[in-house]
Amino acid sequence: MRNSTPKDIGSINFGLMEPEEYREMSATKIITADTYDDDGFPIDMGLMDPRLGVIDPGLECKTCGKHSGSCNGHFGHIELAAPVIHVGFTKLIRRLLRGTCRECSRLLLTEDEKAEFHGQIDEAQKLGRDLNDVTKAAIRQARKKDRCPHCGEIQYDIDHEKPTTYYEVQQVLTSEYSQRIAGAMQGGEDGERMSPDELAEETDIELSRINEILSGSFRPRESQRKAIEKALDIDLTEEDTNKLMPSDIRDWFEAIPDEDIEVLGIDPERSRPEWMILTVLPVPPVTARPSITLDNGQRSEDDLTHKLVDIIRINQRFMENREAGAPQLIIEDLWELLQYHVTTFMDNEISGTPPARHRSGRPLKTLSQRLKGKEGRFRGSLSGKRVNFSARTVISPDPTLSLNEVGVPDRVAKEMTQTMNVTERNLEKARRFVSNGPEGHPGANYVRRPDGRRLKVTEKNCEQLAEKVEPGWEVNRHLIDGDIVIFNRQPSLHRMSIMAHEVVVMPYKTFRLNTVVCPPYNADFDGDEMNMHALQNEEARAEARVLMRVQEQILSPRFGENIIGAIQDHISGTYLLTHNNPRFNETQALDLLRATRIDELPEPSGIDDEGEPFWTGYDVFSELLPDDLNLEFTGTVGEKVVIEDGQLLEGTIAEDEVGEFGGEIVDTITKIYGKTRARIFINEVASLAMRSIMHFGFSIGIDDETIPEEAQARIDETIDDAYDRVEELIEAYERGELESLPGRTIDETLEMKIMQTLSRARDNAGNIADEHFTSENPAVVMAESGARGSMLNLTQMAGCVGQQAVRGERINRGYENRTLSHYQENDLSAEAHGFVENSYTSGLTPREFFFHAMGGREGLVDTAVRTSKSGYLQRRLINALSELETQYDGTVRDTSDTIVQFEFGEDGTSPVKVSSGDENEIDVANIADRVLDSEFESEQEKQEFLGRRPRPTNLSEHADDRLSVESTEVSSDD
Amino acid sequence: MVDVSQHELVPEHTVLEEDELEEVLSEYDIDRTDLPKIKRNDPALPDEAEVGNVVKIVRDSRTTDQAVVYRLVVE
Ligand SMILES: [Mg+2]
Ligand SMILES: [Zn+2]
Ligand SMILES: [Zn+2]
Repeated sequence: MRNSTPKDIGSINFGLMEPEEYREMSATKIITADTYDDDGFPIDMGLMDPRLGVIDPGLECKTCGKHSGSCNGHFGHIELAAPVIHVGFTKLIRRLLRGTCRECSRLLLTEDEKAEFHGQIDEAQKLGRDLNDVTKAAIRQARKKDRCPHCGEIQYDIDHEKPTTYYEVQQVLTSEYSQRIAGAMQGGEDGERMSPDELAEETDIELSRINEILSGSFRPRESQRKAIEKALDIDLTEEDTNKLMPSDIRDWFEAIPDEDIEVLGIDPERSRPEWMILTVLPVPPVTARPSITLDNGQRSEDDLTHKLVDIIRINQRFMENREAGAPQLIIEDLWELLQYHVTTFMDNEISGTPPARHRSGRPLKTLSQRLKGKEGRFRGSLSGKRVNFSARTVISPDPTLSLNEVGVPDRVAKEMTQTMNVTERNLEKARRFVSNGPEGHPGANYVRRPDGRRLKVTEKNCEQLAEKVEPGWEVNRHLIDGDIVIFNRQPSLHRMSIMAHEVVVMPYKTFRLNTVVCPPYNADFDGDEMNMHALQNEEARAEARVLMRVQEQILSPRFGENIIGAIQDHISGTYLLTHNNPRFNETQALDLLRATRIDELPEPSGIDDEGEPFWTGYDVFSELLPDDLNLEFTGTVGEKVVIEDGQLLEGTIAEDEVGEFGGEIVDTITKIYGKTRARIFINEVASLAMRSIMHFGFSIGIDDETIPEEAQARIDETIDDAYDRVEELIEAYERGELESLPGRTIDETLEMKIMQTLSRARDNAGNIADEHFTSENPAVVMAESGARGSMLNLTQMAGCVGQQAVRGERINRGYENRTLSHYQENDLSAEAHGFVENSYTSGLTPREFFFHAMGGREGLVDTAVRTSKSGYLQRRLINALSELETQYDGTVRDTSDTIVQFEFGEDGTSPVKVSSGDENEIDVANIADRVLDSEFESEQEKQEFLGRRPRPTNLSEHADDRLSVESTEVSSDD
Repeated sequence: MVDVSQHELVPEHTVLEEDELEEVLSEYDIDRTDLPKIKRNDPALPDEAEVGNVVKIVRDSRTTDQAVVYRLVVE
């Protein structure tokens, strides 16, 4: 009988199981430790009993009659010879032992106290608080009682020796009490002697009694003992420990009344405390511990099976020994051994217990190890698992792709398939895919007939199969250009680490991506690999297109500005194009714009002296801007950037204009003209910048960082000056004439002043070097435009590397009172503490190199530590916040419907949708102006406004016509 | 003693009347235990607030001018 109807889960209860329940659900009792007989058949009532389920295909399950695959397996059980403690509950067992009476088993609380804790539990449950806090408090209260409030029995301390041993501890009179008293009366080191008379007086005990006690013929009563202890300041007790066997604990717990455990937060309907002491052990079905047949025909058993074998062996020995009337000592040893095996069966990583090992020495992977940790059932198999339709390979750049696209190697495209539902309208296409076979590129790997039968498309059958394809079939065709896939780079730290791209199938073996998407993925091409996932249903594909496509992620939810934009060479390129506004002739101008959708030049900017028309860099760049863009702001270089009616009038285009993190022009276009227009703009800026950097030529070599001899001489002079001043400081310090700065010691002051002097020296050296670099110097261009590097880098290359630091101080470590054996002890000079006077071009001396390596190492260690720390923090944050959800009423609630925020973010706004100005304030005036402008400028425009259609969003890039974009860009942003 | 409730950075805390509370609870369709909590000994609370009361907190907001939040006073 097939029963595949999905079932609704009504509720799930967690609790303990009764031994009788284990027996009831058991398919068989297991009594032998053997698994298979000599002929290879499973032994009845053995660990591989066929009633426990089937793993060999073809065999039938003896319990349910199903075959392997559909039979989930059935539990068996072992009757334990003696009760053992369940390791998972040792803490709770200890708490119950401490909180209940050793005689009558009742909770050591008065009725009033019980009622109070009962109330607290109810309240905690209602408020969603941790019940443990209340139950812990209840136990703490109960432990305070010396005597049972119900039967009056004296209570002893419970000692817990991890993992599963419990002792009752009582303080009793030591057997050597007479010697101790006598010793104390002799007087110890402080020598104060006390005679029996004095003792008798001080303790109020008769002298004859004292003498009897001293001779050892009378054991002092408790009150007498205390008096003597007080008088002599000694301790006359010793601990008497009494081991509690699991059977004792079971008897103890059985007598706890139901209403008492309720106060401890335990539901007596579902869980009785005595069930924490096992008398029956369930045996997991064979399907949970399948044996594998090795190549040589030998069977290799699962770790759980090995553990069960141990348990049964000891269990049997225990029973035999007990029946033979073995001495108590041997029985106790066997009991402990049984406890050990049952303990490690459940958890093999208990501290203080040696883990059970395989013959090879490898620790066994038992129940708890299957669940715990990164590779465990929860994190490894349920929250995250391996998936089909995914690919991973190295990435490399391709500036000709759009930022929405990803280049997919053909061999990947042929493996990842998309399901095509064949209809009359796509029948031809579907047949073509099938007839191309699995090897030809836009081919197919499988087809599914309407009857559900799946057929593999092979080179041999593809032609015939193609003819059979009819509407109603399904064809698993290869990935083709325009398909949507998900692309990801680890560590997936933010939303933009997983974005949807459109496929462009390409030769060779790497994924190709446009360089402008490197920042959101934090990718580079030094060997980075990325993952791709082909989507498998229409809903997923639609969601990916609408929500996840790269262009939808241009604005970052972190700061509400664009995270995608021009980077590195793009920025050098636009800088060269617009800085000093160079001129281009027609051929050059057309060449610059060749990779954009502009194929006709505007009116020339002017006519040069030879009578040839020319176009300026501003005009070429302006071709990419929306026609009605108006913008004015202070740019990267420090000068104003002015754009009027889509025309760049002033300024240099560099990082703050088109860059990745909040490039003003990109940001504005995205917010006003929409994401599609922004995508086009970024693509085109990247292309134009590449063309322009190639037009001007851009390279850097060692000569770009060398300076003339006289400049070097001046730098040497500056540094010598600084050395002199440091020397003066040191001399002043040694003469004791140095005045300390407020709040600093003299030593600190000296260090600070030296550091200051040296850093000024480096800056001066840098300034001298800078004087010799023109603004055409490529390093200067990159630093100025914000493409890469800074003036400091240039200073270090050409002028002076400067002071090396570890933990923000000059280098002070190494040998005793000196950094290296090359220096005198207590040498305070600059060079002895890591000042590098050379530049990277002139080269470092060995000692300088060593100090430089020390400083460099600190940076590496810092990053390594930071990434691991922040990774763990991220994981904890995600786990804590993952269940929060914004509801349709705008509130943010957790899964138990408790409100966390009354309005998402307390203002219901998304940072991406908020337009903000420089001071991070809402630019209300600007928004209002825009609304009014578009509404009241002219009647005609108003009509247009009313008749306006929403801009088409999320069309495939392959569907929208790149040349007709102008028509879609008029409308304003939503 | 400093009365923090008078500090400009401490938003206004007022105890909700029973009928106002009913309105809030029905608006969000919740029990009062589903509200965020505030400790009775929180110095921002007004003196008359008792355990089991619900306080209304009105904060200034850069984006929405005022952000309103309700909290249940607990032990
Ligand atoms: Mg890399
Ligand atoms: Zn079965
Ligand atoms: Zn009792």
